[in-house]
Amino acid sequence: MTDLLHTPLFGLLLTLASYRVATWIYGKAHSLPVFHPFLVASIPVVVVLPLAGLSYEEYREQIQGLSFLLGPATVALAWPLYRQLRTVRSVWKPVLITTLVGAVLAAGIAVLLAWWLGAPEPVVGSLAPKSITTPIAVEVVRSTDGFVALAAGAVAITGIVGALVAGPVFRLLRVRDDRIRGFALGLVAHAIGTARAFEYGEKAGAFASLALGLTGLVTALALPWLWPWVAGLLFGI
Amino acid sequence: MLDGLLILLLFQFLGEVVIHFTGLPLPAPVVGMVLLLLALMFNLPGGDRVSEAAGALIRHISLLIFPLGVGIVLQWSRYQDYALALTVAVVFGTIVTMVLVTLLLKVLMPREHHHD
Repeated sequence: MTDLLHTPLFGLLLTLASYRVATWIYGKAHSLPVFHPFLVASIPVVVVLPLAGLSYEEYREQIQGLSFLLGPATVALAWPLYRQLRTVRSVWKPVLITTLVGAVLAAGIAVLLAWWLGAPEPVVGSLAPKSITTPIAVEVVRSTDGFVALAAGAVAITGIVGALVAGPVFRLLRVRDDRIRGFALGLVAHAIGTARAFEYGEKAGAFASLALGLTGLVTALALPWLWPWVAGLLFGI
Repeated sequence: MLDGLLILLLFQFLGEVVIHFTGLPLPAPVVGMVLLLLALMFNLPGGDRVSEAAGALIRHISLLIFPLGVGIVLQWSRYQDYALALTVAVVFGTIVTMVLVTLLLKVLMPREHHHD
């Protein structure tokens, strides 16, 4: 009977069932960021795997089929990006400048803080892609020699924190422009921020989707080239 | 749905081919994404057929991601020494970035003609 635990079917069933319950809870909680499926779905998996005597490595192998879909999901981001590019032609200049500066800020602040507090290179490298959408982040983190699990977690927490603080930040800075609210949310807090932006309306959602796509693209294209230089500067290797 | 998946896998494969021949230090799916974006901007025939599959994959992206994240808890011994650095960098770093990016947008974004 226990050999059934060591089949891909078990891992996939556990993963899908946890996710299904998590999306139900997220809906019941009116999409409150702290109930994001990323967090809630993790709980049953974290509890069940040790009980079933399965290692994290074996679980990862069981759900390989699911993880493979991250590739096509990354390619798929071209579609919303393409759709939004047409709606923002009139403000391409501020959009482009903010994307470039914002992508550097998002990665740079996290990297410097972690480095300053004594984290070693692979941990710091895992945080560099924390503001970009997860499928791209887990690809990019290979080029910074980071940990995939840590990168995925940092991205999720970034999204949740960003979505939670956005409201107070916008009130404090007296921002009422939906283009600004949307773009800031998409740039800093990727998909979770984008979901939050849609609560401000269609326009905010569109600008968030654009920011998510552009930030992911810029970071993915720049980080693999820049990282060896940054790591050399910080860690002297 | 089927056409869309076919297009996505084809462009991911094209990304792999480009990486293979150029040796670029980029993730192949990201190159595939750029190629698909260019193809859509140049009006790839049937390009809009990608919408259904793309929408489904993006909507359920958390399903593909969270199994990677559980590694943080299950391999906590690997990270526990850096818990403070991680928390500060991720939580405080995100708040600071949000403030700076919003300020930057306030300065750069031209006013809208109508206000809502």
